[in-house]
Amino acid sequence: MKTIKYISIVLILILGISSCELPDNVDPKNPVEVPAGTLFSNAEVALVNQVNHMSVNRNISRLIVQYWQETTYFDESRYNFQDRKIPDTYALLLYRDALMDFKETKISLNSQELQLAQATERDNKVHICSILEVYAWHCIIDAFGDMPYSQALLGAENTTPAYDNDADVYTDIIARLKVAVAGLNASEGSFGSADFIYNGDVALWKKFGASLLLRLGMRISDFDATAAESAVTTAIDAGVYGSQDESGILYYSGVTPHVNTIYDGFTIDGRKDYLPTTTLVDKMIELGDPRLPLYLTEYEGEFIGAIPGLDGAQSYNNYSHFAPRFFEASFEAILIDYVEVEFLLAEAAERGIGATGAADHYANAITASVIYWGGDETAAIDYIATVPYASATWKEILGTQKWLALYNRGVEGWAEWRRLDFPILNVPEGMVYGDIPCRMPYPYDEVAQNGANYYAASDAIGGDLTSTHVFWDVY
Amino acid sequence: MRKFTILLAIIFLGGLQVAFAQTKITGTIVDADNGSTIPGVTVLVKGTTVGTTTDLDGSYELLVPADGNTLVFSFVGMVTQEVEIGGRGVINISMAQSATALDEVVVTALGISREKKSLGYAVQEISGDAVSEVRETNFVQSLSGKVSGVHIRQSNTLGGSANILVRGTTSLTQNNQALFVVDGVPINNNNTNEDRSIANSTANQNDGWGGYDYGNTAMDINPDDIESISVLKGAAATALYGSRAANGVILITSKKGTKSGKGIGITVSTGLVLSQADMSTAPQHQNKYGGGYGPFYESETGDPATDYYFFWTDLDGDGVKDFITPTSEDASWGAEFNPDVDVIHWDALDPSKPNYAEKRPWVAPENGLEYFFQTGLKWNTNIAFDGGNENGSFRLSYTNSDETGIVPNSSIKKNAVNLNANYNFSDKFSVDASMTYSNTKGKGRYGTGYNGLNVMQSFGQWFQTNVDFKRLEDNYLRDDGSQLSWNSGYYDDLHPIFFDNPYWVRNKSFEDDTRDRLFGFAGLNYELTDWLTFTGRISLDNYSETQNERVAVGSVDASYFSSFTRNYNELNTDLYLKFNKRVNDFSFNGMVGTNFRQNKISMLLGQTVGGLVVPDFYAISNSVSPVSVVEDLIEKGTNSVFGTFSVGYKDFVYLEISDRYDVSSTLPIENNSYNYYSGSLSFLLSELGGLKDLSFLDFAKIRANYAQVGNDAPVFSTISTYSQGTSWGSNALFSVNSTLQNADLLPERTTSIELGLEMRFFDNRVNFDVAAYKSNTVDQIMPVLVAPSTGYTRMYFNGGEIENKGLEVALMTTPLKLSDFEWNIGINWYTNKNEVLSLYDDVQNLLIFSAWDVTVNATVGQPYGCIKGTNFVYTDENGNTEDADGNLLTEENGSKTVDESGYYLVSESGEEIIGNINPDWNMGINSTMTYKGVRLNVLFDFQQGGDVYSVATKYGQATGVYEETAEDNDLGNPMRDPVDEGGGYLYPETVNADGSPNTTYVPAYRWGRAFYYNNSPTARYVFDASYIKLREVSLGYTLPKKVVDKTPFQNITFSIIGRNLAVLFKNTKHFDPEAGLGSGNNQGIEQGSYPVARTFGFNIKFGI
Repeated sequence: MKTIKYISIVLILILGISSCELPDNVDPKNPVEVPAGTLFSNAEVALVNQVNHMSVNRNISRLIVQYWQETTYFDESRYNFQDRKIPDTYALLLYRDALMDFKETKISLNSQELQLAQATERDNKVHICSILEVYAWHCIIDAFGDMPYSQALLGAENTTPAYDNDADVYTDIIARLKVAVAGLNASEGSFGSADFIYNGDVALWKKFGASLLLRLGMRISDFDATAAESAVTTAIDAGVYGSQDESGILYYSGVTPHVNTIYDGFTIDGRKDYLPTTTLVDKMIELGDPRLPLYLTEYEGEFIGAIPGLDGAQSYNNYSHFAPRFFEASFEAILIDYVEVEFLLAEAAERGIGATGAADHYANAITASVIYWGGDETAAIDYIATVPYASATWKEILGTQKWLALYNRGVEGWAEWRRLDFPILNVPEGMVYGDIPCRMPYPYDEVAQNGANYYAASDAIGGDLTSTHVFWDVY
Repeated sequence: MRKFTILLAIIFLGGLQVAFAQTKITGTIVDADNGSTIPGVTVLVKGTTVGTTTDLDGSYELLVPADGNTLVFSFVGMVTQEVEIGGRGVINISMAQSATALDEVVVTALGISREKKSLGYAVQEISGDAVSEVRETNFVQSLSGKVSGVHIRQSNTLGGSANILVRGTTSLTQNNQALFVVDGVPINNNNTNEDRSIANSTANQNDGWGGYDYGNTAMDINPDDIESISVLKGAAATALYGSRAANGVILITSKKGTKSGKGIGITVSTGLVLSQADMSTAPQHQNKYGGGYGPFYESETGDPATDYYFFWTDLDGDGVKDFITPTSEDASWGAEFNPDVDVIHWDALDPSKPNYAEKRPWVAPENGLEYFFQTGLKWNTNIAFDGGNENGSFRLSYTNSDETGIVPNSSIKKNAVNLNANYNFSDKFSVDASMTYSNTKGKGRYGTGYNGLNVMQSFGQWFQTNVDFKRLEDNYLRDDGSQLSWNSGYYDDLHPIFFDNPYWVRNKSFEDDTRDRLFGFAGLNYELTDWLTFTGRISLDNYSETQNERVAVGSVDASYFSSFTRNYNELNTDLYLKFNKRVNDFSFNGMVGTNFRQNKISMLLGQTVGGLVVPDFYAISNSVSPVSVVEDLIEKGTNSVFGTFSVGYKDFVYLEISDRYDVSSTLPIENNSYNYYSGSLSFLLSELGGLKDLSFLDFAKIRANYAQVGNDAPVFSTISTYSQGTSWGSNALFSVNSTLQNADLLPERTTSIELGLEMRFFDNRVNFDVAAYKSNTVDQIMPVLVAPSTGYTRMYFNGGEIENKGLEVALMTTPLKLSDFEWNIGINWYTNKNEVLSLYDDVQNLLIFSAWDVTVNATVGQPYGCIKGTNFVYTDENGNTEDADGNLLTEENGSKTVDESGYYLVSESGEEIIGNINPDWNMGINSTMTYKGVRLNVLFDFQQGGDVYSVATKYGQATGVYEETAEDNDLGNPMRDPVDEGGGYLYPETVNADGSPNTTYVPAYRWGRAFYYNNSPTARYVFDASYIKLREVSLGYTLPKKVVDKTPFQNITFSIIGRNLAVLFKNTKHFDPEAGLGSGNNQGIEQGSYPVARTFGFNIKFGI
């Protein structure tokens, strides 16, 4: 009797153990594999969002280059990068969200065994990823100077990537871009509807790539004229934009969260944090720019800008505001456009590399810009007559007009202002002209997370200061 | 593993041979002081686990094994007695009250009652009354100051979580909260907001960016049902519970029915508690200047008192321009209050209201911040029925509590039912079961963090001090149902710009939540022989909760609704063989067992996107854009075998060893098992020849232990998956997960050693228990924050070591003891020194969390929770900023330095160590006086040290809301006056770069020049969190038996209670030094915290 009991207890113990299978340790609600196109979509949107964003936590380029001024909380307009760790977010969103997903897209694509037409389509996709990767890289380098490149994006293989020389990175990305542009084959498609910029149109991507190559070539023109010329001629030969409707523009879907950043900040969040600056408004009034009422509204019958970098609050109600179209949910973000290409060609012609007819390109640029913003051609022609092209003062003329045309495109506007040194911005209260940043400080967390490489890079560029120039900013 | 179990079973079962006879002993136990019977006394056969408790009439009945010759009677607050049985069948005793019980019996791991003297580790026990009497909504908070080594940090929100750390932080990034176990059922103690981080969705409430603190779920344990609480502190005490208990165990024994055989006893307890805001822990507003950022607006009067300080237009149509409050501004650097200046205030801007364009003097408001906080009310009623006969007993208890908070429109309602039952089918076979069902409904919990739904964000940081709180309440709704806020865009644009009217927030954008929980166990016990018992149990903890959050249409933020549902399930199957035997001078006891644990958590978060279509209609489908849904399903399990073996010699020396082997699903399959063990020794010095004869020494014991505990990995940390973004039209978006998983993880391990000494003197008038311990946790599994250029935010690695060293002292004294009067003082003092010895690889710093310019870190060589940011620059009188060794000077050897403009110089590095969140020490002093039936208890709670960074102070000073921005300077002039007129602010005790005393006044006005955070190092907002609090006062009166006998009642007790009555000392001006964001590892940052709720109330308890 007793024995039976003991045996039954032993049986219970054994049964208890064998009946307890451990569950798998795989997250059942997040996939281990996804289609390449979904990664590309995410990367493309991440890239455009970061370049276009106006959040003071992410991207303050519009404030730096004095298109905009904050109303009440004006720290960032006075170049405080640290409080909101803006460099950290800027780098994070480009590396982790854009570049990492482009990389993953390519890994996914290249893992497929394909034949002929399918292989061509796959190659097109890979090249498009490369073009947008180059775009992200130059935004990183332009903002910081030396940054991790060759050792970046390796995950656990290298948790403390060394920084690469900024000029070397440019050399490499220009080479990658040339390969990508040459490799695109318009006889086959690419990402289709997963591509929100061109809907997979390979011919347009080729023009995007060539135009970007033109931009990068011109960007290094003061630093390395030979390399610049090579890039510019390659670009022009491959075929840059010929009209504004070919431009690389993302129209937001207008459905949250895929909405324009101004709509997001002003309409959804109901905030009134930004005003146009006197730098912008006064310059446009001075030049009689027909885009002024297209960019801005009047306050009590006048266009009034806020003082950039003022060490005090400026009440939103007492100034000009952004024109209504900027507040639309689907209002577009421009990565690169025909207007910009014409300005670049004008400068290339002026410098005698790969193009001719600076004045014509200059006029084309302004005309296209005015029309794009809703003005008419006559107004543009009249305006050009008052601000004619002049070779002797080409930097000021191109710099100023490009800055005006790049309105609402802070990242590119800031880069070209640094390179062309025009227009002359206003000095924020209590500062000197040199305090206007020529680069962003390195991400603040680098000291803790990648300290040795950070200090080496900081020394290499001449100090982790906002006054340090990136390599192409020779003057 | 299966073989191992069979082997164990055979070894222990093989030893079975003889069955012993048993004798039945009955008796009644009375209080020596008044002769009343004492229910609930533990009666234990010495050296065994055989025992019972006395019923409501103080009587007991016990079957004693033949070799049992001594009974041990113990009860909290009474002197434990040992009585030789000597062949008697009836043993009646009277027990005397005492500060401490000599031979206490305490509950240890897995619910095993043990004589405290036999234990080689620290266990501290407190009675259920200590938490049930004071009626905290979250009873965990009421442990503060009562147990040494247990550090509680409360949040001041209604029903919010309490952070409970036992002996410091051991895990860098995983859970460090103590485990709660009720009658052997592990009770999940997650804070749901922290737990959501498992989902790749919502931000943590705990990060300080908003959200509600829904409380840690251990608060579902009903204080009315708690008989006693046993705190197992070190790894040796908890090793049997496995890895989850590495942070200590709060072991709760619930009240059981008694075997009186006299029908049913009914106990009723009911009470009312009022709560009020302790305004000394709230932001201190200035009352001299009104709203605005400075003279930046429209009024061109030529009078510096009003020039540009106001909006300016002819609103009332009388042809003269009127001053209008600059409503768009959320700061208080505006015009000086002046009764001669008439202003149209924010509440007179609604054209549809009769008071439109009405002017009132520009003066400080009649109703300040204190008006906002209301008196909270809490009704609590508990009815318990218990009864039984010689074969079994039950206890059924029902509790209802209904509570409103100090913030408008907040409430928590709770209902709980607990049933405990056991039955002996035979001398050998018994079953027992317990079940608790609870339902908690919350509404309008307080918003937290840097978020508009936290009204304190505005009150403490962004506010206009001219705003009258009664007017806020009276005017928050316009006739059309839209909002009127003090902070609208313009006088003709009444949409709120930065901050909603706080009454709008509370009444329109509130949350609601509900949680239904069922936990309990069913078990059977079979006495195989008189020394060997088999127990099988299944225990369950299951809850489902729903949290609905809303933002009303017309708020500053986009309107929103979300519904979060979570189902939690934990099932434990336990099989034990317990043995207990004396052989001559040796006593043996121990057990072997297995445990299978399965956890399943499913979560669903549905959110509207882009706002609500129909106002005031809260359904996820009422979404402008396609809704967002986040789903999570987590399953994990562990299989374990364990055993413990204790041997005692002559009740003089005891040795205990234990071992546990776990297999966990969260570790990589090839490394998924781990074994750990402990050993402890207890040595009764007072039994030694020389010491035994010392008349003043009653008891002395030293104890020592060594233990190792393993811990598994967070779930899903070994295999990477993609995370999904919001689809673009019909296109899905996927991204590489920002955290890189690691397939090579190993289990974490903690080893600890502990030494303890317990001594009692002078008839137990003085006794103490001292413990010293050291624990080291290695191979920590941590999601290391990595450079973004790696392509990831975090990566999982094993590495690192944390060391905790501490000292705990529990001292009990009875300074005065007369025939009717006794005064006891108990002191719990403890200190824990924590150091991060290493991290992964060369990593020197692990970010725990950050806010603005401050970070809280685990830094090598520093305590866990090292606060970093920019520091002051310290200069000595010679102008040096470094000492001879090149180290930066500190406040010890230098003075804070200012630049040539008179503003603080800020250190070059933003990584300076400027604080440590860990207190130097904590102490609770508890005084209890009893006189006949009257009992007065007073508890003081002390903390020395521990730093906190205050976001509220940083902004509250910068916006001119705080008192110190509107005081007179040291020249006796208003500091807001221009510097050239004798105004301005001189940073106190500062020097110039050359070391000479600073005499440069800086302007106080305009965006708070003097207090502006951008002129200041991070260190300026780091405060010492030391405090002395009058934590608890209670006065109880138990009616004498003579009186009660004339009533239909069996006993009646009245009590008056108060909690958090006063902060007697603190170094933080505008907030409670104890306030945190909630439970979890994110501590040390104050972010819009609420004032302490001071509570008072009364309670009546009677038995029928």
